Amino acid sequence: MDSSKLQQLLQKYWSGETTLEEEQLLKDHFQQAEVPDKLREVAAMFRYYEQTKKNALNDIAFDRTLIEKVTGKSKQGRMRSLVFNSMRIAAGVVVVMAATWFIRKEIRQTTPQEVVDTYNDPKLAFEETKKALMMISKSFGNAEEQAKKINMFNEAQEEIQKTSTSD
Amino acid sequence: MNLESFQTRVLPVKNKLYRFALRFLGNEDEAQDIVQEVFIRVWNGREQMTEVQNWEAWCMRITKNLSLDRIRTMTRKQTQPIEEGFAIMHSAPSPYESTEAKESMSRIAQIIAGLPEKQRQVIHLRDVEGYSYNEICEIMELDMNQVKVNLFRARNAVREKMTKINAYGL
Repeated sequence: MDSSKLQQLLQKYWSGETTLEEEQLLKDHFQQAEVPDKLREVAAMFRYYEQTKKNALNDIAFDRTLIEKVTGKSKQGRMRSLVFNSMRIAAGVVVVMAATWFIRKEIRQTTPQEVVDTYNDPKLAFEETKKALMMISKSFGNAEEQAKKINMFNEAQEEIQKTSTSD
Repeated sequence: MNLESFQTRVLPVKNKLYRFALRFLGNEDEAQDIVQEVFIRVWNGREQMTEVQNWEAWCMRITKNLSLDRIRTMTRKQTQPIEEGFAIMHSAPSPYESTEAKESMSRIAQIIAGLPEKQRQVIHLRDVEGYSYNEICEIMELDMNQVKVNLFRARNAVREKMTKINAYGL
């Protein structure tokens, strides 16, 4: 590239009017060893841009870790959620079991021991139960009789109301 | 998208993403971390990839957003401003970078590192990576005018600082 064309291109570059192709021409031009003194810094600038473009990651190690992360992570995630869900269910079961145990313990402690298993003979137990039920039904019978007496009051009240409304 | 097409189509863009993230963060490990995160996101959202027209620009945009998030958390955590980190990174030349040309290249790196963020990113995308203006608009989520203005200012700031260095040795 002759110097006048170079100056022209540089001018375009500074005013932000160069195309990508023209910018590449400038970069390529300044890669050459021979550069006049006054353009030394400009050359360094374009060389710096070209040099920076070579800056790269450690390819193999980076790819390997990334692929491991990307593929391993999803499997690990699935495993983790599976384990987590079963742990949750297990925790629920443990809570229910513990609650049942405590309630049973509480009931046993509060219930008087003499009530539990009073009779060893099933026949005797049956007789006693029958006796107790008979007693209850007898009490119900008595109560019913008493209730009938109360009913008489009701009927009397109704009669009074009838007479008072007819008056 | 299966793993094979992910490896052949998406993965090769990694160095561009890395350089872009590095331009934001100035730290190689952090940049690498960002690139990894971008790819994990792309893989997890691979079902929607078919709807994306320019997936390279899409990846670059995710890189930009993640890098900006990272900068925010970094500035919250550290008391030392990020720009200082940049200066350290670029001002310490390796033994191989002792020639004069290398020195002036490292000065350029410093000048660019000192630019405001948008200008720095736009000049990187254009002059290092060679993206078209439309692509830069898509990546940076800016309109054409903003992209051109940022590029113009960035190039001229670089030029001005280079002239100062030449004239006064500053």
